Amino acid sequence: MLIVEDLCKSYGKFVAVDNLSFKVNEGSIFGFVGPNGAGKTTTMRILATLLRPSSGRAWVAGEEVTARPKRIRQLVGYMPDFFGVYDDLKVDEYLDFYSASYGIPMQQRKKIIDELLELMDLSHKREAYVDSLSRGMKQRLCLARCLVHDPALLILDEPASGLDPRARVEVREILKELKSMGKTIIISSHILPELTEMCSHVGIIEAGKMVVSAPVDQIVNRSLSRQVLEIRVLDRLEQTIGLLQEMGYTAEIAEGNILEMPFTGDQSDMNHIIKALVQADIPLVSFAESKSNLENIFMELTKGVVQ
Amino acid sequence: MKTLVLNPILGKEYRSRMRSWKSPLIISLYLGILGIITLGYYWVKQKNIFYTGFGPDVGPQIYVMLTYFQLMLISFVTPALTAGAINGEKERQTFDLLLCTRLSAVSIVINKLLASLGYIILLIIASLPVFGIVYFFGGVLLSDIGRVFIVYLVTAITFGVIGIFCSTLFKRTQISMVVSYLIVLFLLVGTIILAAFLQGIQSQPYQTSSAAFISYLNPLVALASIFPNQGQNLVNIFDFLRLGVATPGNLNQTLSPWAYNFIINGVIVIFLLLISIIRLDPVGRFSWLRKSANKDHKNAEQDQANDSGLMKGNINEDESSS
Repeated sequence: MLIVEDLCKSYGKFVAVDNLSFKVNEGSIFGFVGPNGAGKTTTMRILATLLRPSSGRAWVAGEEVTARPKRIRQLVGYMPDFFGVYDDLKVDEYLDFYSASYGIPMQQRKKIIDELLELMDLSHKREAYVDSLSRGMKQRLCLARCLVHDPALLILDEPASGLDPRARVEVREILKELKSMGKTIIISSHILPELTEMCSHVGIIEAGKMVVSAPVDQIVNRSLSRQVLEIRVLDRLEQTIGLLQEMGYTAEIAEGNILEMPFTGDQSDMNHIIKALVQADIPLVSFAESKSNLENIFMELTKGVVQ
Repeated sequence: MKTLVLNPILGKEYRSRMRSWKSPLIISLYLGILGIITLGYYWVKQKNIFYTGFGPDVGPQIYVMLTYFQLMLISFVTPALTAGAINGEKERQTFDLLLCTRLSAVSIVINKLLASLGYIILLIIASLPVFGIVYFFGGVLLSDIGRVFIVYLVTAITFGVIGIFCSTLFKRTQISMVVSYLIVLFLLVGTIILAAFLQGIQSQPYQTSSAAFISYLNPLVALASIFPNQGQNLVNIFDFLRLGVATPGNLNQTLSPWAYNFIINGVIVIFLLLISIIRLDPVGRFSWLRKSANKDHKNAEQDQANDSGLMKGNINEDESSS
């Protein structure tokens, strides 16, 4: 669906995107991760035909991005990280305006708007002024706006930024729904764990360069190979540490009744530890991979060149 | 077959504009000013009736005066309508959303302009009843009003395009507003002062001097030259402006000042529209023309700011204010 080849964008001496190459298969969700200022927005703006690359090429559904921008705009739905709304329009008028801007005939617009409002759970706000919506609703409305022309590829620049947890979950659910509708999605974030839940592929970018581009499973496995396990027990911490030491692991008390233990191994090794703890009658409450694993991977891969 | 439908930008602009309370206020103020001027002039005339008599020239005099004031009002309303057309969208962070639709830069610029012109035409139509007063006194033909309206339209288009050009040139609406008004002020007043100054230091006859051509930039001069029947009244009312007006007696030029004015305005409009469109077109066929490294660098900084979330503060502010 999307092929990016040696894409570069420089402004004078400053290189925002440096020889970026990646592929996104049809129907997949590609997570675009990187620290702030890594070049995610610039890349997305190039793909959305809002910026001309200095060199390199990109194709969406076989069409070259710079050669036929009008055709690309029909194929792509773009949601910027920061966007505004026309405060003097109502929700349905807002969507009608963008549908008309995409050249959708008037007769079809009402049906499309009805469906999109339904999908975004905004039907009850149809008559409300756009300005009166909450941030989460505006985000969903903007997502609906990207979909008015039924694009095959969605480019979403940090769609969940600034949202409260509930609104984040709602956006995630909508994205899953869109995936099931066969849309290809590129979504950016600077939080890797957030993306691994819904993406099939992840590309990690730093200082304009692609550091890793791989299926999520591979990234997760990579994090599994050297991770930190979090073991919570009711009491008998010292005994647990001793037991683990006998098995060759070094555990430390992280806080309260939680132990943290660096771990290298696969899932059967994990199972072995759990069995041993239970057999020794340790009051085990939970045994899990530390949430910071993916973050650690992210920190390791992106060495903090961009601040 | 392509059916004729209202361009979305045009439709949206009309809807938004007529929805806000500003529109009725502007129309009321506009008509109020025109009405007060007419009644004031009539009142002064009536006061002097004892000495001068109520001559048949009252109608044409009121008409001429009204047309001048209307032209000045249009000159001052138009930049306000267009000087924020593009950078207003950028400030509101809606411009990218607009650009990634199928609307071309040409369509965006032209329809923003048409939306403003539509509003000016509404003001002109709303002023027709005030012009109706002139018919109480007679002496003015319908075709005279038609000619004047052509000058209005040309002026509104020119000033509208100047506003749009400034709004693509400057990042902030306030700056483009100020610059547009300065340009308009120069065309309305500056050209006259400059023409008078040049005439003062030159020895050529006025009609062939550069002073005359500078004065042709002025829409008031164009207006003065387009009156066929009321020319004499101008001597009394706007004597100063007659500086550049060709009257039948001194018409030894091939074209009348209004024709020069229209031609100059046409060139200005085409030139500024082209630059505006080129500036807006991010990746289209004109993008190679805008190889300004400086501007691109600014864009880079903007992108960087976006990426690093520096603008989050703005969003939050917006939110809290709403």
